[in-house]
Amino acid sequence: MIDRILWRELDWFLLVLIAALTLVGVAMISSCSQGLADNYALRQAIWMATSFLLIFVFLYIDYHFLVEYSIYFYGFLIIVLGGLLLWGEKIAGTRSWLRISFFQIQPSELMKLALLLLLARYFADYRREKITTFDWLLVSGLVALPMLLITLQPDLGTALGLLPLYLGAIFLAGINRKLVVLVIIAGLVIGLLGWNFFLLDYQKERILTVVFPERDPLGSGYQIQQSKIAIGSGGFSGKGYRQGSQSKLRFLPARHTDFIFAVVGEEFGFLGVSLVLGLYAFMMFRIFRCGLKAKDRAGVYICFMVGAVFAFQFFINVLMTVGLAPVTGIPLPLVSYGGSSLFTHLLAISLVENVYMRRFIYV
Amino acid sequence: MAKIYEDLSSLHRRIKLVQWVVIVLVILVAMFIWKMQVLDYNYFWQKAENNRLREIKLTPQRGLIVDREGKILAKNRASFKLSYIRENVKDRKQSLTRVAQLLSLDKQQLINRLEKYNSLPAFMPIVIKDDLTMEEVAKIESHQIEFPELRLEMEPLRDYPYGSFASHVLGYLQEISLDELRSPEFSGYDVGDMIGKTGIEYQYERDLVGRKGLIIEVVDSLGRKTGEVVQRSPTPGNKVFLTLDFDLQAKAEELLQGREGAIVVLDARNGEILALASYPNFDLNKFIHRFSPQEWTSLIQDQSHPLENRAIRGLYSPGSIFKLVMALAGLDSGRITTRKTFLCTGTTLIYGHPFSCWYEPGHGVVNLISAIQHSCNIYFYNVGRLLGIQTIADYARRCGLGHLTGIDLPGEKAGLVPDPEWKKKNRHEPWYPGETISVAIGQGPLLVTPLQVACLTSLIARRGRKTAPHLLLQVEKRGGVIEKPNSLASLNNDLVSAEEIFEKIITGMWRSVNAGGTGQGARLDGYDICGKTGSTQVISRSTADKLGGQIKTHSWFTGFASRDKPRIVVTVIVEHGGMGGQTAAPIARELFELYRRKYD
Repeated sequence: MIDRILWRELDWFLLVLIAALTLVGVAMISSCSQGLADNYALRQAIWMATSFLLIFVFLYIDYHFLVEYSIYFYGFLIIVLGGLLLWGEKIAGTRSWLRISFFQIQPSELMKLALLLLLARYFADYRREKITTFDWLLVSGLVALPMLLITLQPDLGTALGLLPLYLGAIFLAGINRKLVVLVIIAGLVIGLLGWNFFLLDYQKERILTVVFPERDPLGSGYQIQQSKIAIGSGGFSGKGYRQGSQSKLRFLPARHTDFIFAVVGEEFGFLGVSLVLGLYAFMMFRIFRCGLKAKDRAGVYICFMVGAVFAFQFFINVLMTVGLAPVTGIPLPLVSYGGSSLFTHLLAISLVENVYMRRFIYV
Repeated sequence: MAKIYEDLSSLHRRIKLVQWVVIVLVILVAMFIWKMQVLDYNYFWQKAENNRLREIKLTPQRGLIVDREGKILAKNRASFKLSYIRENVKDRKQSLTRVAQLLSLDKQQLINRLEKYNSLPAFMPIVIKDDLTMEEVAKIESHQIEFPELRLEMEPLRDYPYGSFASHVLGYLQEISLDELRSPEFSGYDVGDMIGKTGIEYQYERDLVGRKGLIIEVVDSLGRKTGEVVQRSPTPGNKVFLTLDFDLQAKAEELLQGREGAIVVLDARNGEILALASYPNFDLNKFIHRFSPQEWTSLIQDQSHPLENRAIRGLYSPGSIFKLVMALAGLDSGRITTRKTFLCTGTTLIYGHPFSCWYEPGHGVVNLISAIQHSCNIYFYNVGRLLGIQTIADYARRCGLGHLTGIDLPGEKAGLVPDPEWKKKNRHEPWYPGETISVAIGQGPLLVTPLQVACLTSLIARRGRKTAPHLLLQVEKRGGVIEKPNSLASLNNDLVSAEEIFEKIITGMWRSVNAGGTGQGARLDGYDICGKTGSTQVISRSTADKLGGQIKTHSWFTGFASRDKPRIVVTVIVEHGGMGGQTAAPIARELFELYRRKYD
């Protein structure tokens, strides 16, 4: 199924970038989880090692096969998500976890991959210059269904994570201005309906605090303030590894997850920030480049959507830590602590490599 | 799916556009951060220096523990504690010398204390002294400027107005350990917090602990307060009502004074425990401090084990009390009837070994009822021989022996019901028939707790219905909301036997107390008390005689009242108290009397 020669065709530079970013993450998690109950850094390192192994295993499966059968994958996950809503066990307030004997997974995270492959399949033979309204509505439906199911769990953060896939796909397919206006109107209508009928009080409160940070003095406004002070006081070269978090960032409840970038800024200063920004910029550039090299539409779509997912989360997270975007609870992929998120994002990278590696073979 | 000649040019155009947008955005972000970190560095550095936030946790009042009538058994009093903040000093050695001097503390102890918490971040305050005297408070206050590393705080301290009263039930507090602090179960707790370690304090920690208050202050680099960001008042813990009756508990403890033993008084109708005493006990107020190592070790090393709750953790041979189970097993399995008689001549040969009755002249011809009344051993040796060990063990387990009763206290023991399988597994030997004869009168490896005996008595009193013993009456939340414990509904594994079987056994118990039987010490005029005594041999009788009777048997009594409307169950064990009828039965009598006066 796989030729040994294909290994040489991997984008090794991209893999090195990924590994470097993940290692930076482990080091920073170790720095700011001093005094916390668990060894988060060790856990993250274990996740990293297993996920990297799985990347290579995953490469054996030709992405055409994955794209071909994505509809079943998608359908299966829709059923699972529906089932979870009806019979799921409530863990930490949401019905997002599926327990299989001794370990538990979040089907909503896997949905990201399923939707990505499904959209790639949808557009694999789509040769129009612009997307038609009919196709746009259909695609919107395909995305809206899982988003709705995940929102009902309720897990708004993960549901929003599907958005860049959707935006990326329709942008690539070509949208016209009429459609953009339609999207905005539809968004407003859905937003109004959601506000009045679906959102829970705590979610409404969270959205309100984004707009009015002073509503929650212990919450987001205060976090952003602390985060900005941390970054700004890091200066050009930082306060030194493990030297910063103690006095300032200790009030940040999510410093090893959502605000990890602020820890980089405080401890390593502008030099550290530049390194992370540089690694990220190169990584995103390489992912898009893989899209340019792909041999068919499915491949192009896969790479582009993966790039969009990374770019979307990266910008939202970084802008949040410097106080330019609301606190939304979106982590910095690959760097922030979180096993299943790391796993999903590394599988996404594996898909990109899958496309890139098979760029010369014609079936 | 793929075509060889695929025109992807429009897709490539859009990707390249996005690539550029991304690159430009990254550069803009980098420029913005350059402005923050390099151009505005002084501004943020100043903010970081002058605008530090200090978080102060306010310990809530721990919930009150009261008896069933609301009498306060555990409350709080105001006190001061002193914490050490490591990040506020440069030269820790010098600082510790000065602090030790100021408070006349042992410097080495201080160092050990801080070293223990080395793994915690330096901003976390470590408590170095609590329950300070007013003189100490004044001294620290007047030197506060010279000691930025010291922080003086008010703290509610646990206070037990009756000292050792119900000490085993209430349980004591201890400082949270590092391991506990790290476990997710204790998230929300901080270094230096006191948590329930045993008893009700442990069992209902979640209800009692309350919610911490929080003050976030803005302070400058010298630690001076320049403003307040937020304040949240602490929420006191919930009030826990116990089923204990203060008077009965006090009486039970008074009766045990100077002895070693335990008393359980429970309401047969609903399993509410009215008194649970274990003696010797200990002063709970000795445990409210974080630092009391000497008193600790002396309590732990005490030969009479005052920290042990004998009522739920003391393992004793049931002795003749077990004859109740034997009678039930015999009648229910149909191996004997109430008409069955055996001849007691004071001694008998079984399997070629001599076994004797406690009454040397012998009871003559005995039937079941008189055997219970006079606690005849010979009769039950024969019942044991007829039943065999497996049947005996099955019935003992069905009566709740060998199982936890499920009382809402930590550390309960299950006891032991031996059978051949157990012996093979633990002693790697087969079961000898002679052992069955010992078990038949409650000796041998058989072990029970006083609480199990009380539950067994309640089971007989209610003619086969089980009770779930418990100590929690209700929890009163803020605003007076009352929450009753659920899950304490009746147990559905009742022992289904014909009611007349229980009536026969109860008749024997009634006669034991009221018709000149072994339990007559518990007799109370005009109150139909039914009971059974027990005296368990700690060593064999001949050895005891050689020692000059120095070591006496453990003395048991268990009973209930009244015969037709069973309400109260009293179980008493006095270690080395002699015959059950002599010591335990009169103690039970006093409790029955008090109960009748108060409730009937």
